[in-house]
Amino acid sequence: MDTPSATKTFRKIRLQPYLLLLPAFLCLTTFTYWPMLQVFLASLTNKKRVGDDGSFVGAENYLTIFTEADFLGALWNNAFYAAGTVIPSVLLGFLFALALRETTNLSAILRSALFFPTLVPLVGAAAIFIFVFMPDIGLLDYYLAKLGLSATNWLGNPDLALVSLMALTTWKNAGYYMLFFLAGLQGVPQDAEEAAKIEGANWLQRLYFVIVPMLGPTFAFVVVIALISAVSQVDHVIVMTEGGPNNATNLLLYYIYQQAHEFYDLGKATAATVVTLAALLTLSFLSLRTMERKVHYET
Amino acid sequence: MFFRSAVGALCAGLIASSAVAAERIEFMFPAPVQGKLSREMQKLVKEFNASQSDVEVVGVFTGSYDETKVKSQAAAEAGKPPAVVLMSANFATELAMNDLIVPMEQLAGDTDLGAMMEEFWPAVRPNAHFAGKVYSIPFQNSTPILYYNKEHFKEAGIEMAPETWAEWVDAAKKLAKPDGERWGIMMPSNYDYNGWLVQALTMANGGQFYNPVYPGEIYYDHASTQGALKFWRDFAHQHKVMPTGVTDSKQVSTAFFSGKASMIVLSTGALSFVRENAKFDYDVAFMPRNIRNSVPIGGASLVSFKGTSDAQKKAAWSFISWLTSAEKIGHWSRFTGYFAPRQTAYDLPEMKKFVAENPDALRAVEQLAYAGPWIATYNTVAVRKAVEDEMQALLSDPELTYRTAAARAQENADKVLAPYAEQTALSLQ
Repeated sequence: MDTPSATKTFRKIRLQPYLLLLPAFLCLTTFTYWPMLQVFLASLTNKKRVGDDGSFVGAENYLTIFTEADFLGALWNNAFYAAGTVIPSVLLGFLFALALRETTNLSAILRSALFFPTLVPLVGAAAIFIFVFMPDIGLLDYYLAKLGLSATNWLGNPDLALVSLMALTTWKNAGYYMLFFLAGLQGVPQDAEEAAKIEGANWLQRLYFVIVPMLGPTFAFVVVIALISAVSQVDHVIVMTEGGPNNATNLLLYYIYQQAHEFYDLGKATAATVVTLAALLTLSFLSLRTMERKVHYET
Repeated sequence: MFFRSAVGALCAGLIASSAVAAERIEFMFPAPVQGKLSREMQKLVKEFNASQSDVEVVGVFTGSYDETKVKSQAAAEAGKPPAVVLMSANFATELAMNDLIVPMEQLAGDTDLGAMMEEFWPAVRPNAHFAGKVYSIPFQNSTPILYYNKEHFKEAGIEMAPETWAEWVDAAKKLAKPDGERWGIMMPSNYDYNGWLVQALTMANGGQFYNPVYPGEIYYDHASTQGALKFWRDFAHQHKVMPTGVTDSKQVSTAFFSGKASMIVLSTGALSFVRENAKFDYDVAFMPRNIRNSVPIGGASLVSFKGTSDAQKKAAWSFISWLTSAEKIGHWSRFTGYFAPRQTAYDLPEMKKFVAENPDALRAVEQLAYAGPWIATYNTVAVRKAVEDEMQALLSDPELTYRTAAARAQENADKVLAPYAEQTALSLQ
């Protein structure tokens, strides 16, 4: 069967997928991998500003940031911020979706209301929340005062400022994650649930044994995008606190921005970027892996 | 990206064909106080463009002072240096050190810069100079100033605005109501404002704050700065007449307007904002003194980035000299509340009429006799942040002592300044 035409077809088939992948590969290389490599190389130099050549210093920038209170503080703040936004916003999104699963007129209105914060740009939301959190005259304190609580300097107290930002993020993201869970719930087969019902499983049991495992891929996806957003969103820090009071809300991205553009230390900024990227990759990988084990994929 | 540049090029083409051979330059400006200012600035740009046909200025609003520095630097690094930027007055020094902006003599042509600078108030000149050259032309300038609610003063039986720190504390105690129902005094402690006010208190305490001749030295661990840190923190923790924690300038002005704060310290640049929003009898006074009357200059000056063509430089100068003319600078001062840095602006009839009607506009000008330059060092923002972090910590944590805070601020600032100090003052030939 070794005719020339067969060989030709064979070659064609082998080449075609690579040709199809080429545009994506070129795009990724030019706009993702190449810049990442550049960032890594810059992190090994003592570059001060863009346009400054700098000289090779090896791992010095990494040693510096890992002994520096500001970077370690930002790292810790971001870890705390991630835990405190991912868990509540994903859980809330899931609960909203469960509660509003059935489509009625009311649920459509409630869904829109819960989704609404997603449509507000983060900068706008932050600008509004400055006034919500304003001590004494803000909306929050206005209602708390009715409960007999005294005025609180939400954004000006180092113990509360980051928690306040976390509240804003949760408020903004929960509705967005609800959408994914609503879509996921559509995919839970009715017969599986009905079978469980006939077996006498109560609501909680059905939730735990049927719905949650079926939603595994959705959970895995939502947790990963929530993690990424916890590290990549910085607008509210810039608008509301500028990393203060005394660095209490200084998150990794803001730290990087300040080092690169305000304090003229591109070497340190790029080293922090590499660390952030590595942490994100590891976290995404781990959460996908652990969740995938519990995932039931439709075949 | 391609689409945007294509549209940009098309627009540019259309404009260029309608206005024959006008030199287009970008003018980046911040508006730290309120949105109204950026609209008025765009109006001024339009007026300039209409007044002549050689230059076309494109106004670009760039946010806060710090953001303006970042954005204009980014533009310069991307190979599109902005020809005119309204820059925080204290950043010119480090921009000149980093070789990013050009001395004004490269723009000024036949203009006698020395004679021109003589027309500006002596207090604003040091920030405009670096290494003996003029690097910026002052445009909108300010000093911190004390705003107070006269009705609250009458109610508390206080006759006059406080002139000394002792009187200030005394007045704040009389004005405050318990449990934060009303604060005696509020001052913004967010970044940027914070460092400016620590400097103001340090100067009023007889201190220097930084070395205005050599930009590699800072005096955070000196008695005068320590006293300033202690004095500010005591308002919150010891006298309990100021809220604890960090309060930003929006909170301060809002509290003043709603009667929740009887005295506030803000920039004189907020004067017209206060004039419009205070629905009660208010007045402004000098910053009280401990050792001497003294305040730092604030506000912004016009600078020009390196790398522009000769034609752009010429165009930039025609805009700068138009904008800083006594007439325009006076108009801007009346509109905003900033004082006019050009003394001759106060000789014009509109200005004479305005200050007669609004004597509060003169307070900052009177205070100028006691004003000094604004902190300008190598890597100013990082050096400034070292003391701002500690001041914020002091306002939040009643256990922290001013001595520890001052020592830490000094240590962190010295770390930032070290590379420059080693290259200059510490280098052995």
